[in-house]
Amino acid sequence: MASSHSNTHTEGAKMEQIITEFFAKSLHIILESRSPYMSSRNYSGEQAIWSPSSSSSSSSGVRPRDKWFNLALKECPAALENPDIWRQSNLEPMVIDVILVQRPLVWDPVNCSPKKDFGRNISSKERCPFSWNSDQEELGCEAKTEKIIERWIVQYESRRLRDNCSGSRRSSNTLHMMYKKSVLLLRSLYATVRLLPAYKIFRDLNSSGQIRTFTLTHRVSSFFEPFTRREEAEMLLFGFTPVDTSCGRLCLSVVYRSSLSDISLESSTPMSTQFIPDYVGSPLADPLKRFPSLPVPHGSPSSLPFSRRHSWSYDIYKASSPSFSFSPSPTHSESHASISNPSSRRLPPMSLPPHPPETSSIHKKNTSFDEYYPSPNFTPSPSPSPPIYIPGNHLSKSLLRSESAPVSIPLAKLASSPVLSNRQNLPPSPPLKGTRYGNPRTDTSTGFVQIGASDEKLFSLGKDDIRKYSGMKISSNSSPRISFSRSSSRSFQDDFDDPDFPCPFDVEDDDMTDPGSRPESFDPRGLLCDPHEPGGLFPIRKSQDAAVGELVRMLKKAPPLRQDFSTSVCLSQDKMSSSSLQEQQASASIASSGLVASKTTADALEELRGYKEMKKDLLLSQAGRSNTSANDTCMQKSTTG
Amino acid sequence: MNCEVCQLKELEVEHFEIREVLRCILHTIVFHRALGLVRPKDIDLELFDITYVQCGDIEVEKKIDEKIEQFVSWVEKHPNKKSEICLSFYEVKSKHPSWFTNKIERLDWEQWHINLNVTQHPKPKAHSGKSHHSKIVVDPGESASEERSVRRASLEVSLREVLFQIIKFVNEKKDHVPPITESVIYFPYEIHIPSSSDSAFGMDMLKRIIQTGHPTMLS
Repeated sequence: MASSHSNTHTEGAKMEQIITEFFAKSLHIILESRSPYMSSRNYSGEQAIWSPSSSSSSSSGVRPRDKWFNLALKECPAALENPDIWRQSNLEPMVIDVILVQRPLVWDPVNCSPKKDFGRNISSKERCPFSWNSDQEELGCEAKTEKIIERWIVQYESRRLRDNCSGSRRSSNTLHMMYKKSVLLLRSLYATVRLLPAYKIFRDLNSSGQIRTFTLTHRVSSFFEPFTRREEAEMLLFGFTPVDTSCGRLCLSVVYRSSLSDISLESSTPMSTQFIPDYVGSPLADPLKRFPSLPVPHGSPSSLPFSRRHSWSYDIYKASSPSFSFSPSPTHSESHASISNPSSRRLPPMSLPPHPPETSSIHKKNTSFDEYYPSPNFTPSPSPSPPIYIPGNHLSKSLLRSESAPVSIPLAKLASSPVLSNRQNLPPSPPLKGTRYGNPRTDTSTGFVQIGASDEKLFSLGKDDIRKYSGMKISSNSSPRISFSRSSSRSFQDDFDDPDFPCPFDVEDDDMTDPGSRPESFDPRGLLCDPHEPGGLFPIRKSQDAAVGELVRMLKKAPPLRQDFSTSVCLSQDKMSSSSLQEQQASASIASSGLVASKTTADALEELRGYKEMKKDLLLSQAGRSNTSANDTCMQKSTTG
Repeated sequence: MNCEVCQLKELEVEHFEIREVLRCILHTIVFHRALGLVRPKDIDLELFDITYVQCGDIEVEKKIDEKIEQFVSWVEKHPNKKSEICLSFYEVKSKHPSWFTNKIERLDWEQWHINLNVTQHPKPKAHSGKSHHSKIVVDPGESASEERSVRRASLEVSLREVLFQIIKFVNEKKDHVPPITESVIYFPYEIHIPSSSDSAFGMDMLKRIIQTGHPTMLS
C-alpha cells in the first residue's frame, strides 16, 4: 500500500517533469526556427562533433537537455531566456507569438542597430515585443508595424483523476506511452515549423546579408489577446493530436497566417560594399594580399596576370603591390595593378566571371606597359596576348596552368604557398642574369631561331638547366645572382614602398645597366614553360623575340661563370664523340634560354678540343710510362735473372 | 499489433524531380520513426521552396539514396508509368519456435505507400516553326516553359500536402508504434520499389500483405 502510493507519487513526479520538459522542448523547437540571429541555422560545429550513430548516453557532445525526447537541438538562447516566466505552473498555457515587424523603408542603418535582440521574452503584452535601440525610437523609428503571423499555444489540460493509479505497472506503462507519444508529437512539431510560411521569412533573415525592412521577433507569455475577426479570417489552425496522460493531456496547436504575400517583404538597399578582411586571399588569410583592395576589372581576375605576355613574372612576384606597376606612370600603375593585382585572386576561383568581356581593357593595359618598357631590339607588340581564361579551378592550379610559360620550379612553389611571401620562389632569373653569351649576336640569333623553332626542346632543357644553374649560381658569391636574389627579396618587401621598382629582378648590381630592359629580360623565362604544359606558351612570337633580345643583352654584360661552364663542359665532354651536334644544339639552346655557360659554343668547343688533346697527351704519357716501367721491369728481371 | 497503412497522395513528377521528391518524403517519414536520440538535419530542396528534416543518420541516408537510384533506374526502363514505393516498418519476430524450425519473420506494423506518376513532358523549345503561322498563338517554347513552371508550383503544393499528410498520420496514429528502446535509433524499415515486371510487383505486394498478418492480430 505504501509502496504503491510512493510509486504513484514517483510516477506523478516523473510525469510532471516530462510535462515541464515538454514545454521547454516545444519552446526550443519553435524559437529555434523563428528567432533570427539567435539561433544558428547553419550551426554545423556542434553538429559535426556529435555523432548521431553513437550511443546517446555515451556521446560526449550531447547535453543533458538534448536527451529529453531524444531530440538534440541547436543552441537557442532565446529559448533559454527567462525560463521562469511561464513556468509558474504546468497548468498555465504557454503562448508563443511570432511577430513580423516591418520597418519603414527609410531607415537609418547607422542609428538603427542591426543587432536586434529578438530573444526578449516578455511577460506582459504591453511591452514592446522587440528591443530596438531606444535611439531608434527617438529618431522616429516607431513607424513600424507588427503583425502576429503565428501563435503557438502549448498547454496541459488536466482532468480530475477519475481513478487513481492502482498499480505501478499500469502507471509505468502509461508513462512510457506518454513519453513515446510526446516524442512523436515533438518530431512532428519539428517538421511542421519548417513547413509553415513563417519559416521562409526566418530563413531569409538568417541567410541574407541584406538589410531587410522586416524582421521576426517573438513574445512568450502565459496569456494572449484573441485575434480580431479580420485577423482570424486570415489565419489557419493546425492542431497536433493531444497526448493523453493519466491526469490530463498535452495540447499543442498553432494559428498561422496562411499567406504572407500580402505583407510587403521588401529588402532595402543592400549593404554597402565592405572590404572583407578575412576573405580568401586577404592579407590575413594570404600574405599575397597585403595591399588594399583595388578595383578589379569585371573580367576574370585570376586570368588578368597571365594575360600579360611580358610581365607574368611581375604578376607572380610583384602582383601584390599596389604600387606595383609595369608602368611608371601613376595612372598606368593603378591600372596595371588592377590588372595584375593578385588581389583579384582574393576572389574565389569559382567566382571568376568570364574573361572575354574584359579582354580589350586588359590588352590595352598590356600594350601600355609594353610601351613603357620598349625593347631595344623588338618593337612592342601591338597585339596583346590573348587572355587566358581560367575556369573555376583552384587558383593555384590556374597559376600553374597559365604560368606554364614561366619556369616550372617557381610554379611548383606557387601552387603550394604564396609567392610573395616565399623568397625561395624566386624565378630562375639568376641564371639569366648571371650568364652571358660569348658571342651574343651570333648565339642570340641562333638561340633566337631556336627559341622560335624548337620551343619545347628549349623549355625542356631550360627546365633542367634552371635547376642546375640556379643551384650552382646560388652557391656563388660573386655572381650578381645573389644580389639579384637579395634584390628580388627586397623587391618583395619594397614593392609596396617603391613604386619605381617595377621588376623583381631589378637589382642593386651595376651589371644591370638598363633598368628599362630588366622587365623584359625576364620575358624569356616566360618561354621556359613546363614541357608538360604545352599550352602554356604565350603565342606571341614578337614578345619572345623581344625577350630573347633582352636576354642576350643582359648576358652580354653578365660576368662569366667559368667554373659553371667548366662543369658543364666536363659533362658534355663524355658525350663529345657522338653528340657534338647535339652539344651544339644543346649549348645553343641553352644559351638562348639564358641558362648557358658563360662562354660561347665556339669557345666551349675550343676548350673541349684542348682538353681532348690534353687527354690524349696524358694517355700517351701514361702509356709511355707504363711501357717504360714494363721495360724497366723486364730489364731488371733480365738483369737479375 | 496493428499494421497501419497510409496511402499518400499521388504526385505527378518529372524524371529530374524524382530524387528530390522521394528524398523529401522518405526522410520525413523515417525522421518520424527515428525515435532514438537524433540530431536532425534541415535540408532545403533545390527545386522547391521546401525544407524537410533528416534524422541525421548516415546509414539511413545511404539506404534511401540507394533505393532512390534503383527506382530511377526502373523508371528509365518503364517510362511514363505510375509507380508506388512502399516504405514499411517491421518487427522481427520468431514464429513458432520449435526444435526443428525457428522461423524468423518480419511483421510490418506500418506501411507508407508513396504514389508517383512519372511523366515526361516535352522540353520547352526556343523556336518553333509553327509560331509564325498564327499571330495569336504564343510561341510554344514559352508556353511549354510556362506549363513547366505551373506544374512545378503545383507539385510543390502537392508535396507540401503530402508532408502534412505524413505529419497528421503520425499524430493520429501512435498506439501501434512499438516502444522505444535505448539502443535503437530508428525502427527497422524496408523500402520496396517496383520490380522489373508488374506481376512481380504485385506478388511483392501480396507477400507484404500476408506478412503483415491479420489486422485484428494483436501482439
